[in-house]
Amino acid sequence: MRAVEDADISMDKGEIVGLAGESGSGKSTLALALMRLLTPPAATVTGEVKFEGQEILSLREEQFRESYRWKKVAMVFQGSMSGFTPVFTIGSQIEEVMRIQGDGGGDEAVEKLLRMVELDPSMAKRYPHELSGGQKQRAFIAMALSLRPQLLIADEPTTALDVITQASIMNLLKSVRRETGISILLITHDLALISEIAERIYIMYAGRIVEGGRSDGLLGHPRHPYTQGLLASTLTLQTTEIRGIPGVMPDLARVPQGCSFTPRCPFAMERCKTERPELRGVGEEQVACWLY
Amino acid sequence: MEKGSVTKAVDGVSVGISKGEVLALVGESGSGKTTLGRAAIGLVRPTSGRVLLRDGEAVVDVGEARGKKWKALRKRLQIIFQDPFSSVDPNMRVRDVLRIPLQAQGMKGGDEIDGKILAVVQRVGLPQEIIGDYVFQLSGGQRQRIGIARVLLFDPAFVVADEPVSMLDASLKADILRIIEREASENGTAFLLITHEMAVAKAISRRIGVMYLGKLVEVGPAGEVVRAPLHPYTQALIQASPAVDPGQKDQIRKVDVVGEPPRQTAHPAGCKFHPRCPYAMDVCKKTEPEMKEVSPGHFVACWLH
Repeated sequence: MRAVEDADISMDKGEIVGLAGESGSGKSTLALALMRLLTPPAATVTGEVKFEGQEILSLREEQFRESYRWKKVAMVFQGSMSGFTPVFTIGSQIEEVMRIQGDGGGDEAVEKLLRMVELDPSMAKRYPHELSGGQKQRAFIAMALSLRPQLLIADEPTTALDVITQASIMNLLKSVRRETGISILLITHDLALISEIAERIYIMYAGRIVEGGRSDGLLGHPRHPYTQGLLASTLTLQTTEIRGIPGVMPDLARVPQGCSFTPRCPFAMERCKTERPELRGVGEEQVACWLY
Repeated sequence: MEKGSVTKAVDGVSVGISKGEVLALVGESGSGKTTLGRAAIGLVRPTSGRVLLRDGEAVVDVGEARGKKWKALRKRLQIIFQDPFSSVDPNMRVRDVLRIPLQAQGMKGGDEIDGKILAVVQRVGLPQEIIGDYVFQLSGGQRQRIGIARVLLFDPAFVVADEPVSMLDASLKADILRIIEREASENGTAFLLITHEMAVAKAISRRIGVMYLGKLVEVGPAGEVVRAPLHPYTQALIQASPAVDPGQKDQIRKVDVVGEPPRQTAHPAGCKFHPRCPYAMDVCKKTEPEMKEVSPGHFVACWLH
């Protein structure tokens, strides 16, 4: 089964890029592939991942672990609040990451990190259960930033949180980028959330990138019918009519021939059923659709 | 109000939901919205206060119903749960998920049961063949539809929908909300829709109630609550709601309220919101404000008003 195919994405230094798609679209699989967390025989990854010009997919695991994972590329997850071990303090867990990776650590370094994510330094002495969900997510972000990575992959970092906390975590990501110049890849199903932070956006459907471009252009004039549908179904306070996208995403094990959005597409043509459109440049953006 | 329910809940505030109305209840986790929802259909019995259901001519006290009365009431009061993965048994066929409640309520005769099952499956927009599938074969969106189909089996008078779309993607969310909208307007079912998303509340309900630490702090017409929120907590929930607006991406979103609600066991004195409130005054620390009608149908419990 091909969970993700032909997913070409690029990011500039210090850029915030959004990857949007519904559950099962392959967006998390893509992120795990970037972190080299998909291991054979369960999953194989082909293609290349270049980080500052260096191909990292072909590196030996030890090399990747020593020089890249967590050091250059770190990740926070939807469930990262439960990523802390309950029996050790937050501070000791952050310090452990730094120590194992040979980056010293020490109380001062931990406190500095906690301040960076706007947590009181005294949180270092607390146990995970003493923190709220939002505080734990902040602490996890602090841990992800502990080795000063250049890229942070944030996979649904606010999905389980309340709206006020969600807004504060999004603000935190913005200020961390401003302070450190880190690049952020934000993965979420929520187009409204992405629009608030991302400079560029990629839209994934059934394992493929179907549209990509600068966020104002892409959201202002979505070209792919799926992007249009996703945008129309995104509920905000401005929504006046609830609109969905008829049908469901195909099972990735049985993706139809041609364009996988054809069965749900209001503009489907004969050609869409048999030939798969490639992602190609249309104006400033890229779109994979026979309409263009 | 011909058929519907009246909920007297949380600190002396009465909320009525009319026939065919969707009332949305918004609040953060721990606000007590789920507990209120469960009390509204008798799944938890209130220690004080009453829940009344006016069903046709009869008025039933939900908290007092026992035995046969309770069983009959179950058909009138239903609940849609948040998580379709834990609320619909994965090891049953769809047909059985829908057949068992009908038989439990005494329906006999295969044809009648089958007819009813096919009818509700269609009402939630699923193909008839699905009744032969096992629940584990279905997607989250399909499972949630089955959860709703099960609720519709008895054409209930009142349904509590507890975060019915919070685990679903945007396009599925819209589908589910439209089913609720249609059941309310066409069949006159009253809904209490519990959500943490103001956008969901605004899109589907006629009125919005906002809860904080077990207290209703504001209730009013949906459009008005969103356009001109009165309570500082409601204002913060609205400020924090994301919009599709790439022009905002370089800005820090301004939310006047910080932090998270304290744990339930340690409610602050006075107005429970005062420790997080940007406008807190002395009186707020001492005395809890009463609900007050500020404009027709728009109530708020806040010393600013």
